[in-house]
Amino acid sequence: MPPPPEPASDAVRSLLRRIGLELAFLDATAPAAAGTLAELLPSLDETFAGASAPADLVAAVATARSWLALPSADFASRLGQWHPWMEEAVTAWERSGVLPDWPADLPPLSAQTSPPPPAAGSPVTTGRTAPARELPTQDVTVLPAGWEPELMRLFCAEAAELLQDIEQGVLVLETAPTDAETLATVFRAFHTLKGNAAVMKLVVLQRLTHELESLLDAARRGSRVLDRDAIDAVLSGADIVAQYVAEANSQLDGRETGRTIPLALPAVIDRVHAILSSPAAAAAPLAPPPGTVPLPATTPRASVAVLPPPASTPTPVNTGPDSGSRLSPPEPSAAAAPVPAAPVPAAPARPAALSTGSVRVDTTRLDGLLDLVGELVIAQSMVVQAAASGDEHLTRSLAQLRGITTDLQRTAMAMRMVPIRGAFQKMGRLVRDVAVQLGKEIRLIVEGEETELDRTVIEEISDPLVHMVRNAADHAIEPPDVREAAGKPRTGTITLRAFHQGGFVIVQVSDDGRGLDPARIRAKAVERGIVPADAVLDTRDTLELIFAPGFSTAEQISDLSGRGVGLDVVQRNVERIRGKVEVESAPGAGTMFTIFMPLTLAIIEGLVVSVGGQRFVIPTLAVRESFRPKAEALATVHGRGELVAVRGQRLPMMRLGQHLGIEGAQADPTRGIVVVLEAGNDRRCILVDELVGKQEVVIKPLGEMFTGRTPFAGAAILGDGRVGLILDTIPLVRLSRRSHTETAA
Amino acid sequence: MTAITPTIPPAHGPASAQPGKYLTFVLSSQVYGVPVLAVREIIRLCPITPVANMPPHVRGVINLRGRVIPVVDLRVQFGLFVGPDHDRTCIVVAQVAATAGGVRPYAVVVDGVEEVVTLAVADIAPPPDFGGAVDTRFITGLARRDVGVSTLIDLEAVAAADGPSEKSAPSSLSP
Repeated sequence: MPPPPEPASDAVRSLLRRIGLELAFLDATAPAAAGTLAELLPSLDETFAGASAPADLVAAVATARSWLALPSADFASRLGQWHPWMEEAVTAWERSGVLPDWPADLPPLSAQTSPPPPAAGSPVTTGRTAPARELPTQDVTVLPAGWEPELMRLFCAEAAELLQDIEQGVLVLETAPTDAETLATVFRAFHTLKGNAAVMKLVVLQRLTHELESLLDAARRGSRVLDRDAIDAVLSGADIVAQYVAEANSQLDGRETGRTIPLALPAVIDRVHAILSSPAAAAAPLAPPPGTVPLPATTPRASVAVLPPPASTPTPVNTGPDSGSRLSPPEPSAAAAPVPAAPVPAAPARPAALSTGSVRVDTTRLDGLLDLVGELVIAQSMVVQAAASGDEHLTRSLAQLRGITTDLQRTAMAMRMVPIRGAFQKMGRLVRDVAVQLGKEIRLIVEGEETELDRTVIEEISDPLVHMVRNAADHAIEPPDVREAAGKPRTGTITLRAFHQGGFVIVQVSDDGRGLDPARIRAKAVERGIVPADAVLDTRDTLELIFAPGFSTAEQISDLSGRGVGLDVVQRNVERIRGKVEVESAPGAGTMFTIFMPLTLAIIEGLVVSVGGQRFVIPTLAVRESFRPKAEALATVHGRGELVAVRGQRLPMMRLGQHLGIEGAQADPTRGIVVVLEAGNDRRCILVDELVGKQEVVIKPLGEMFTGRTPFAGAAILGDGRVGLILDTIPLVRLSRRSHTETAA
Repeated sequence: MTAITPTIPPAHGPASAQPGKYLTFVLSSQVYGVPVLAVREIIRLCPITPVANMPPHVRGVINLRGRVIPVVDLRVQFGLFVGPDHDRTCIVVAQVAATAGGVRPYAVVVDGVEEVVTLAVADIAPPPDFGGAVDTRFITGLARRDVGVSTLIDLEAVAAADGPSEKSAPSSLSP
């Protein structure tokens, strides 16, 4: 069997690809819509005729045309099987090999079937006039018929992970387009995605990922260098997948189930085709896009992108990526070039630390385990207290038990801990996009992305981080010319840094941009009525005004060093996880935001105080200082209640006993303790009887009976087994938002 | 006395009491009963942490093996005499339906637990009309026993009255 001449082979390939694309959008219930297919098949016929194709190929096309002419109920699924067979058969023909067997469950090939004339009057061509590829978007149903919620969720979760790998990888490829390892990573990610999509019968995604995979495969083999165009195509393809997954997730949650969404699929697929069919622009390494140097390869921390995808985790269906569906497209090799059998990508070599395999666990189970371990630790300390008397043997056994429980607790906590990498990874893309859009040059340096913290904390911190990084890229970093004029390097730098410090996780977002101008912040705050004109504020207080609600609105952002928009939201989010945000800045030199976060939401460090014999826990992060007040520091102002002078400022003081209605609380403040609480920029003192100590406590919910009715954030089991209530400090402090700026007379 | 056939309870009241095992306990010299299936355990009185801003019948929270559980004083809720705690005072830990689905623990202070009795259909009379003197919202029936009469109450309805949002009676109706 002679192989086809080169141009015919190309034409067949191109036709098959277009047919594949049409099949992806084929609506099985509306055969009339198959008009474009009915136009493409005759072209295939003609090409075969001109290239003396094997009889079976010709017959296959004729058979397909007969299905289209008289559509039966299952013509769409028949065509779904027909297309991969055709691709295989054409490959075989190109290699002068043996044609694959005709799928057994399809009606037999019948060369006799006379194809209907491709006349305009043919009933099937009347459906759609505009071919799909000319449409900018295509309405797509995201949940396939007969979807299983569990599998679909797994698919979405894994797709999200793969998308991250892809995005990270592509950003690296932008600067190092030939980096073999990264190319392989991105290729594998698309390959896995495609396999998963095939298993889930998400034909649309399968088509799209197949095309992108082909493009990356070409790059991986060196037959094409990824230029700007190709990278953009891959990114927009990834965006479509992300859009799809987001919609699927939302529909899985029961929102507008069955809705179709418009996706720019045809545009992307066409773009990929155009790139693949253009003469190979080999070896011309692309210049980095103007403005961005994302994740420079010289920054060792930036090498995350080359971490292998989570391929070792089970794919949603354990039959493997490509099995289980006859809709699977052929291996990418077929689409790229007639090179002998592309090996399925080998399992990536990975650092030993990561190769121990993993199991997906339902997070509620994990939470349950952590709760139990927390209880075990407390029960254990109660036993230790009860057994404090004497018996040496018992004491030794108990010490051993304590060692085990401590280890157990650490292990259980570690299970919830994930690297902050996920939250950091999206920033590369974000900075790139902003920089390209605004014509700025911005370098993003990421450090400490292996820092681990509770996944709930990461979820909560993710949005605030996006906000701050976008602010920095958008407003803080000056345009290159302005920077040059100011004697700074043209390329601005944004640094994201995460590290552990004293039981907290600290995330810093810093930039070397304009910096904040305290005088202007103050002026703006006075103008907006946030502070009185005569307020005495130190620099730190002034800078923190940018977190005040209503400080800045969208139109102000550019006059005031571009900060402030939404920062109150950032602060609220961070406070919700019992963290806090601080800001430091030097005009002209840059700004640094520091977010302090608890390692986990399950445990906090608390200051235990007592009032009238009852004990309460105050989260340490909310405590600025505590002291025994001297008589001269106290004052009562008519209509304002009691005030305490703290470092030259008079802060309102609340007697906790009175506030909570506790009898027997210390009435004389000079014999009690003043605890200065802060929430953002606001401060307030509370008077307690005494400080009992500091303790790490496991936070327990108070239960629905108390929700929203008490001034407590939760409860904790104290060392003696009793329940201590955890004060919800933020509403407590905010009781007097305005009065804290009372000036010391 | 004729056997009582299960009737559809009034729309706002709790379900009428079903035959079965009941735990009886004393509240200020009167005997009350709750279905034993709703009871998780009975524990000795332990230190209760009061919670500010709650109505007076909510005594506070206790630590039950690491769980924080609300404790309610039914004597206060039912308007009965509340004497000082004594050595028979104990806490009955029950479980009731949580608003979000599932169950939640709900503990009540009682003046002593009596016994577990098995009540037949014939032992149960429908809730009487006290003429408004006693809150009958929580009463599912009266049980006649050799030693006297005990009032059967629906802890679900009691707990629901404490819910974060004032709900109407629960719909734990069984045919």
